[in-house]
Amino acid sequence: MPFIAPFTIAETLIYASLLSLMGVGITLLYKTTKVPNFAHASFVTLGGYVNFSLISAFHWSPYLGLPVAFVVVGGESLLLFFLVLEPLRKRKSSVALLMIATLSWHIAMLGFLGAYADSLQTFLRVPTRNVVLSYLDFTLGGLPGIFFVSITVTVVAAVALYFVIERTNIGIALRACMENQNLAASVGINTTRMLGLAWFLAAGLAGVAGALLPMWTQLNTSSGDTLIAAMFCVSILGGLETLYGAFAGGLILAFAQIVGTTMLANVVGVWVTGYEPVVPLLLMAIVLMTNPKGIGGMKVWKRFK
Amino acid sequence: MNFIFEGIILFALELFAYIAIYLIVNEGLNIQLGVTGITQFGLVFYVSGGAFTAGYLATRLGVWIFHINTGGLDFISGNIILTTEVNSMTKAQPLNGFALLIIVIIAAAIVGALLGIISSVPAINLRSDYLGITLLAFGEILNVFGTAYTPLIGGPPGVIVPDVWAWAGGSRFVASTLTLMVLAAIAYVFIEYVIRTPLGRTFRAIRDNEVAAQSLGKNLPRCRLEAIVIGAVLASIGGALFVLYAGSVTPSFTRYTWTFLPWLMLLLGGIGSNVGTLVGTATWFTIYDLILYYKFYLQNVLPFDVVWLNYLLLGIIVMLILIFRPQGLIPEKPLRATSAAKSSKQ
Repeated sequence: MPFIAPFTIAETLIYASLLSLMGVGITLLYKTTKVPNFAHASFVTLGGYVNFSLISAFHWSPYLGLPVAFVVVGGESLLLFFLVLEPLRKRKSSVALLMIATLSWHIAMLGFLGAYADSLQTFLRVPTRNVVLSYLDFTLGGLPGIFFVSITVTVVAAVALYFVIERTNIGIALRACMENQNLAASVGINTTRMLGLAWFLAAGLAGVAGALLPMWTQLNTSSGDTLIAAMFCVSILGGLETLYGAFAGGLILAFAQIVGTTMLANVVGVWVTGYEPVVPLLLMAIVLMTNPKGIGGMKVWKRFK
Repeated sequence: MNFIFEGIILFALELFAYIAIYLIVNEGLNIQLGVTGITQFGLVFYVSGGAFTAGYLATRLGVWIFHINTGGLDFISGNIILTTEVNSMTKAQPLNGFALLIIVIIAAAIVGALLGIISSVPAINLRSDYLGITLLAFGEILNVFGTAYTPLIGGPPGVIVPDVWAWAGGSRFVASTLTLMVLAAIAYVFIEYVIRTPLGRTFRAIRDNEVAAQSLGKNLPRCRLEAIVIGAVLASIGGALFVLYAGSVTPSFTRYTWTFLPWLMLLLGGIGSNVGTLVGTATWFTIYDLILYYKFYLQNVLPFDVVWLNYLLLGIIVMLILIFRPQGLIPEKPLRATSAAKSSKQ
């Protein structure tokens, strides 16, 4: 009987929370702007470095920087949306061109973040690569604080998102934009502003997830890059058309990747852990081949409506 | 004075070698993205496949072809000794070198075709956005295998590969660059030919209007698969040539170098235009070398590594091209009718 330590479960839940925060943004942006956003990787990394800068420069408490990360990364996404994607959308560019636009934004941000991290190192004289901040964390009942914080943040984000989208007027406008933008515009909804809001929210959540990253694992300028396949896997698992599916997707992927690999390593040997990054790709391929609409798109849910 | 002249020659040779390697890879992307309209964000998959094939096979093949006694040496730990042995054989005879080169290219082509089929399995029926996500996610999977499975190419430190141009001695770079340029010319002519065949016309029909192409009885998944395989073979050969030229291979083929840069060059030249692919590749490398040249002046002024300026500049360049000149330097033109088509009109 393979043994799974409670610690592994805690790790899994932290990873699941962070993945959900990132994946839900990808789904939201896909539903509103119809573009798979490759720049999500840079949102996560930027969020991490915003939090790290506040901690190392002003000695902030590690969780105080979360709102700042939300706003800064949200602002970054507005730049991307209004400077790059809006002109392309106005010209009715193909999805492929929008995708390469987000990828090139990501590459540019990679350069910016690398330069920023180097400069931070020069001026503050702190190492800015492989950043681990878990020593700043509090512990509660033997578990690290990040465990409680990441789960709380994710639950709050999910509930808040639900209320904003399902219960407020802005949410109704946003949903109208997701359904049919021309129709939404014809009844007087400012669709551009609504899309901007969606970008701000989605990127903000990714930024918060990034800000939490150094509390749990290492933060690098390439952190977002290593996670991007997992983010898309979460989004596709949950269903690119179903907003809340990403939360289920995050949970499934985290369990498959951490618990699954640990159990497999117990059975066949430690060498298996080297192939851990393949898990999201396999899951993604299986979902796309068998049920491309993901969990949220399955017919089972219609019975509950 | 002679010294400076030699420096310029070496610089030019390396520039042309890289243009040739990238032209082969870019032609592969052009047939997939430009001609057939597949959102190929995972080109690095095939390039690393070809590169790892070369890294895995070149020394083994050399040992096998030239009947070298391995003396019980492992191909990874005894990599340097065995590769030196193979080099002594390629040094003795140009034919030996060429034989090795051609066999490695054929192996890379086969691997590329297989990878093309594998990567298309989950994605062939998907819409362009899903297709793009899947291909992007699969792109760097081979690096995981290359890192974790050490018998392949020795894990993160990598392995060195035999020098198939060792026979040229001091003019090794002249020989290698000329070979690469000839191969790139073949790839260019091949894609130009494919575009003009009925298959190429079908590809473009699918890109321009899927529904219309389907209504004319064109099998969409099959045509896409064919385009992916043709492109994958070229990209894989490009990867293998890159490894043979550089002389070593590590599992570090990134999305940036082998997916984003080919996209950039295609966008610069004009997506779908074959001349544009050539012009885009050449133009980009010229710009890049100028950046490289000026970068060193900035290194002492800036508080960060100038390599980051590359990323920043290139990302911005692509966005500017997309916004202000999406058709590229040399836009795709309607093909001239062939003599057969002309005579049928009369």
